[in-house]
Amino acid sequence: MAIAAVPQPDLASTYEMPVQQVSLLQDAWNRIRRNRLALVGAGIIVILFVTAIVSTFWTPYPVWLQAVGPTYQPPTLAHPLGLDQAGRDILSRIMGGASITVQVGVGSAIIVSLFGIPLGLLAGFYRGWVDTVISFFINIWYGIPDLLVALILVFILSDVLHLIPRGVFVIVLAFSLTRWMDVARLVRGQTLALREREFVEAARMSGARDLRIIARHIFPNALGPIIVQATFAIPAAVLFEAFLSFLGLGIPSPAPSWGAMASDGYHGLDFAPHIALAPVIALSITLMAFNWLGDGLRDAFDPRMRR
Amino acid sequence: MTRGTVSYIGQRLVLIAITTVLVSSIVFLLLHQIPGNAFLNDTRTSPASLAAQIHHYHLDLPLAEQYTLWVQGVIHGDLGESLINRGVQITPLLIRETSVSATVGFYAILITIGVGLILGVIAALRQNTWVDYIASSASVVGYSIPGFVLAIFGLLIAGHYLYIWTGGTFYYIPGWGKPEQIPLPALALGLPYAAYVARLTRASMLETIRTDYVRTAWAKGLKSRVVVMRHALRNALIPVVTILGPLITGIITGSVVIENIFGIPGLGKEFISSILNRDFNIVIGVFTFYAALVGLANLAVDVIYPILDPRIRY
Repeated sequence: MAIAAVPQPDLASTYEMPVQQVSLLQDAWNRIRRNRLALVGAGIIVILFVTAIVSTFWTPYPVWLQAVGPTYQPPTLAHPLGLDQAGRDILSRIMGGASITVQVGVGSAIIVSLFGIPLGLLAGFYRGWVDTVISFFINIWYGIPDLLVALILVFILSDVLHLIPRGVFVIVLAFSLTRWMDVARLVRGQTLALREREFVEAARMSGARDLRIIARHIFPNALGPIIVQATFAIPAAVLFEAFLSFLGLGIPSPAPSWGAMASDGYHGLDFAPHIALAPVIALSITLMAFNWLGDGLRDAFDPRMRR
Repeated sequence: MTRGTVSYIGQRLVLIAITTVLVSSIVFLLLHQIPGNAFLNDTRTSPASLAAQIHHYHLDLPLAEQYTLWVQGVIHGDLGESLINRGVQITPLLIRETSVSATVGFYAILITIGVGLILGVIAALRQNTWVDYIASSASVVGYSIPGFVLAIFGLLIAGHYLYIWTGGTFYYIPGWGKPEQIPLPALALGLPYAAYVARLTRASMLETIRTDYVRTAWAKGLKSRVVVMRHALRNALIPVVTILGPLITGIITGSVVIENIFGIPGLGKEFISSILNRDFNIVIGVFTFYAALVGLANLAVDVIYPILDPRIRY
């Protein structure tokens, strides 16, 4: 869930060099191939992405088209997931929701990394006042309910100040503004440990400039944990979007957000449970898949596990 | 309680106060970017009474003065007056609602820690048996299922099917005030984190029961209950305690949606309804409460931590 505490790899411990040199990603792939749960997760994620892409070109019915059949109709052959309270085809809307989910998840992971990685590298590498300022934000962040801050940011930016229309972009922005500290903290810790290592010293001795040391020596060595952290940001963002839309503060109504669909459906739980169950199950499976893949990646990138 | 601990707690309290005011100041200043009459969000009153209302809420003052007044109020524990329900003081309202939220939250945390620890310890002690597989798969699935999804399933089963099965004699009615209305929201709020605690407990327990001192405890013939409870579990708990802070933050965040689903008149329901009603004074007030609550919860965890692990000092 939201409290995924990623253990910091113990960089100080020495480990046996593999006999044959393999790249980080190759090595991770070799490990993850043996992790069945992670593979299942990856498979589900592939299906999700394909669905998202397909839904932008084609869905069985248009996602907004009302009264394609009787309202509240339970699943039938023509409509495998049934129809909702406005007579819209739920399967089509689930497919459209996959697209929103992918946009929110991937967008957030990218923007969180774009904020967090450079700031973490700067704080860890230069220390001093740069670190003090960045660490101040990281420490403040630990004392606040970040999702609620993000919620109120979406409300203020879209509904009060009317700066950005409600939608995927403002949700991604609000989520990233309150979550970059998570990545920054991790990268800062990695950088603090890496900058003392011999290969960094050697690079400095041979006259490499700071930027080159950071980009070519420190960043690649911190890449594993960064990928893991970015993967865990995806389910967190997806859950945040569903949470907002469920409360009526997320992506506005005709758009097929899973959270909003669940919110529509739970009012009719007594006589048409399929309306709420379809989006809720789709959401749970998606979150599960990302968490399984994240766990698998974490095990794969953990240097302590290396043979 | 050494003098160091006391001064540490004092420092943290000051920091919490600063963080709370700082974070809610941002909300205050952002919300006050819109003009006063839009803030009041009332088109029905005559111009004269509208002007009187604007004056009443200090909305005619420059932003800097409004802000100073607000900060002074917050420091004295006065969060002002509701914009929609005139005359309703926000601080006592929110204190009442916090006690409702805290009741649900308390049971949720009991469920999280109770279920999580029991499942985790059993899974670790019976590693690689069917008990372990069931407990582990339950937690691997459970921690990905958000609270509101559990809530919907709970409502469907306890509210709808239970009604049919028992012929309408025993079922769940959403609301608040009766003791039988507590378990369902508490379960929906606590179970996702219970799965997480179970995973963590299992991992740390597996590590601990392989240590030398636990083997010694077994070797000298202690009862298994004593070995597990007094020797192994204590040390296995340490990594679990570290996630208590994020756990409490998560439960506070989760309560927003759970209270809205189950119709519980707590802080979370007030938060969303004040946003939807655009009662900005309450929005700012609830937010101030949340920031303070999360800060205090984290402080409580940090104070408990050295009791369990004496190596940690402040």
